[in-house]
Amino acid sequence: MTGSVIAEDLHKRRSLELPAPARSGVVLGLIYLFLVGVSSLETGIKIMGADTQEQLFSAVSNPIAGLCIGILGTVLVQSSSASTSVIVGLVASGALGVDQAVPMVMGANIGTTVTNTLVSLGHVRQSNEFKRAFAAATVHDFFNVMAVVVLLPIELAFGLISGIAERVSELLVGSAGSEWKSPIKAWVKGPVGWLEDFWGAIGLDGNWQGTAMVLTGLVVILAALTLITKNMRKLVADRVERSVNAILGKGGGAVALLLGLVITIAVQSSSITTSILIPLSAAGVLSLRNAYPVTLGANVGTTITALLAALAASRPEALTVGLAHTTFNLAGILLLYVLPFARDVPVRLAEGLAEIAVERRAWAVAYVVGAFIIVPLIGVTLLR
Amino acid sequence: MVMSFFRKGSHGLDHIQSRAATMLGDARHSFDLANTALLTGDTHESIADDIRATDHRINQAEQDLRSELVVHVSVQGTSDIGTVLGFMLLLKKVERIGDQAKNILDLAESGVSLANSPIIDKLRAQQAEVSFLFGEAGQLLTDADETRSQRFVQRVSELITEYQAQIDAYMFSDLPGREVVPLAIYYRYLKRIVANLRGVIGVTLNPLPQIDYLEDGTVDTDD
Repeated sequence: MTGSVIAEDLHKRRSLELPAPARSGVVLGLIYLFLVGVSSLETGIKIMGADTQEQLFSAVSNPIAGLCIGILGTVLVQSSSASTSVIVGLVASGALGVDQAVPMVMGANIGTTVTNTLVSLGHVRQSNEFKRAFAAATVHDFFNVMAVVVLLPIELAFGLISGIAERVSELLVGSAGSEWKSPIKAWVKGPVGWLEDFWGAIGLDGNWQGTAMVLTGLVVILAALTLITKNMRKLVADRVERSVNAILGKGGGAVALLLGLVITIAVQSSSITTSILIPLSAAGVLSLRNAYPVTLGANVGTTITALLAALAASRPEALTVGLAHTTFNLAGILLLYVLPFARDVPVRLAEGLAEIAVERRAWAVAYVVGAFIIVPLIGVTLLR
Repeated sequence: MVMSFFRKGSHGLDHIQSRAATMLGDARHSFDLANTALLTGDTHESIADDIRATDHRINQAEQDLRSELVVHVSVQGTSDIGTVLGFMLLLKKVERIGDQAKNILDLAESGVSLANSPIIDKLRAQQAEVSFLFGEAGQLLTDADETRSQRFVQRVSELITEYQAQIDAYMFSDLPGREVVPLAIYYRYLKRIVANLRGVIGVTLNPLPQIDYLEDGTVDTDD
């Protein structure tokens, strides 16, 4: 069923799908829903008393514990877009400070790499395929861990990342502590008010009402993001396919990085972008060195969601956290990719780990469980 | 290059389909040149260079398109997997046609010339007929016309039978070996080329498991 017959088949299949303008409308509606979710989360936290907020967020006063919570939270929802949006919502409510949020966002960056590493385990039966797939997945892990190892101490000592983000945020919406009159916030005020009234009408108040609002916000954020990603993936699939073919034709470098950025902004998920690369690397179609910059672009592209979430917030600090996420990823690229001596380190580490993993497959599973669950759990338990 | 994302373009498989048709055009070019060399005895270096460069282009296109098919499945999911695997077979068939055209050139370069063959007019007519089939196959790849495709397969099957009869006749001919062996080899190449052309169109007509096999699964039609 190739060639002539396929032309008819493809035409029939496409005619059954939602037309692009209608799907674009659905995506816009979902973005609105996502912003309602973020605002609902913020309102819910605000409804809770100061004591409850203190109890809930005291665990993240230690930055390493915050980092570990960022990893675990992201592994749990399999999306750094979702976890960073929640962090932005928490900062918007005033329950979480920028200092506490930045390590959590860095953790989210590490946690999001679990998805493509899990995808690479699907190739475990074919040694050569698995070696290439696992290296392509873990190069993202190593880059993100190295970025945290280098940039978190600098952030803790000098507040470099949050400082840059705060400056940009001040220029855009005003200084910390002030009330930012976001037009988006005004647009979502209605539905958030209805939710608040709804939970109040069924007899919930105080912490219970706040918890209900937070849970509603979380469900709406996750559902909206999942559906946005699904619809955007369908909308831009042909463009993504052309872009990946362009990377294959012209190699890696800055172009691959920019295409990783554009694709991720379009599908609103770095996991989608990086997971597409795994079967390509496994099949030997895309080399590790060409896949690597795409993942870096995806790192930056995924920060757009937190920035979007910040639009529904009433405090400039929320935007500062979103910008800190972007600044962190850009700084990581400057230090670890632009500088030639550092560029190969994550690649070599990934190749080394893949060599070990292909010899002892159980180690690959142990790596995923250890790096993404056990170590962060120990970190949270010991340092909270 | 980043703008490739923002540009409007064809669906991935449409692009591959049109590149496969271009590959067939290249294969036809090689076939015509190789026949010119064998049927006129003109094995000028430029002809050989052109055929080798074209073959290289066909091979490169096959590799590129294989990668693009993997990209298609990675990005779009497995809903088109039957078509993707069909394209893999189709591309291999076109690549083989390029190789077989090169084999005809090898025959000419080994010193064989059919320019003075008593059946040169018939050979030239057959070359033109096969060359025309290349064009028709390329068109059928891009048009959705099942009836014409089936007629094409039928006609090529008759040609295969005719070429096999020629080969059998030369095998048992009383003529000197230096006269009939090159002709038998040439017809063998012609038969392989048209069989692959039939395979290319067969891929567009048949379900994946039956491609290259008759309905009862016993006969390999690509043989």
